[in-house]
Amino acid sequence: MTGRSVSPMLLRLAEERATGALLRDHGTLYLSEGRIVHAESPAAPGVDVLLTAGGRLPRTGWQEAVDKAGARGAVGRYLVDSGRVGGGELEICHLGAMFDAAFFALAPASGPTRFRYGVAHWFGTVRPVSAAAVERETLRRRELLDAVWPYEAVDSAPVVARPPAPGQTVTRRQRDLLAMADGTRSPAAIAWTLGRPAFHTLLDVRRLAAAGLVDTPQGPPQEPAGAVPPWVAAISDDPDIAQLRRLRDALEATL
Amino acid sequence: MANTEASLKEALTTIDGAIGAALVDYTSGMALGTVGGGKDLDLTVAAAGNTDVVRAKVRTLELLGLKDEIEDILITLGGQYHLIRLLKGRGNNGLFLYLALDKTRANLAMARHQLSGIEAALEV
Repeated sequence: MTGRSVSPMLLRLAEERATGALLRDHGTLYLSEGRIVHAESPAAPGVDVLLTAGGRLPRTGWQEAVDKAGARGAVGRYLVDSGRVGGGELEICHLGAMFDAAFFALAPASGPTRFRYGVAHWFGTVRPVSAAAVERETLRRRELLDAVWPYEAVDSAPVVARPPAPGQTVTRRQRDLLAMADGTRSPAAIAWTLGRPAFHTLLDVRRLAAAGLVDTPQGPPQEPAGAVPPWVAAISDDPDIAQLRRLRDALEATL
Repeated sequence: MANTEASLKEALTTIDGAIGAALVDYTSGMALGTVGGGKDLDLTVAAAGNTDVVRAKVRTLELLGLKDEIEDILITLGGQYHLIRLLKGRGNNGLFLYLALDKTRANLAMARHQLSGIEAALEV
């Protein structure tokens, strides 16, 4: 570590072994006793997309797991116990999605950062990771992107493929990506369609741009996509517990 | 149906001469799990660096037009073997197992065989 920190608040919460949700401009990190157990960001496909887009898990199978185990916060456990996904596979997929979302959630942002104590994610705990490890990996990823091709503009612009030079080849994974580059899809949209982590797609696009196989747009970069809606910042620190109870009771009565 | 940590621990305890093992995502270079290593062998650094090895070889196969896949890659040092085994399972999300072995204590053929068993146990 070089003393830089992506979120001093995250490290402080980790130190005090806090449990809850850290809400930032571009995503949310869920902590349990100071360790990160889940992350989500509008910029990164979730575990559901990673598992279902490639056909690994039918959409109905995912829905069933959420219906049956979502309320007790054990969707991951249910997927494994019902034999739909292997334990190692789920762990790897979940870790991949978590580090991916954390990368975007921890992106430099000017917006407010809030922490809701006691909140747990419905997916359940798979493998907790220390905040320091997530922070280290996020910094490594930022540096990696810039080491490959230091032009941020390719991250958000529609991907435009360029013809390969004679003798130039691309790998199968890159070919799949280029096949999606229709001049309107952004790297994030391609990640969603292919069911791949968003960071991996950004990295592939930067590598392709460095190789001259994808256009690097000139001019000012576009507004980054995937910020959470503004109402997230307006969530009160002091929730109306009584109203939430009434809401819950009403929902339970109708379901 | 083992989890990653159990699989890596198994690699370290059952394979003769194993110094360290890691499960690595070769697109991003992130180690999803590491076991062993130590101050002489930083496995997260090794993981990130070896992704370049794997990607270079994948690209070479494309250039050669070989319609085949890499099973494993062996790197022989003066005192160590480094074994990279690409995972193929159903997910096929671009992962490899990385195993560092002490050359004087390791049995290479046996290690390759055991590593493929661990891959199967990981069920990815």
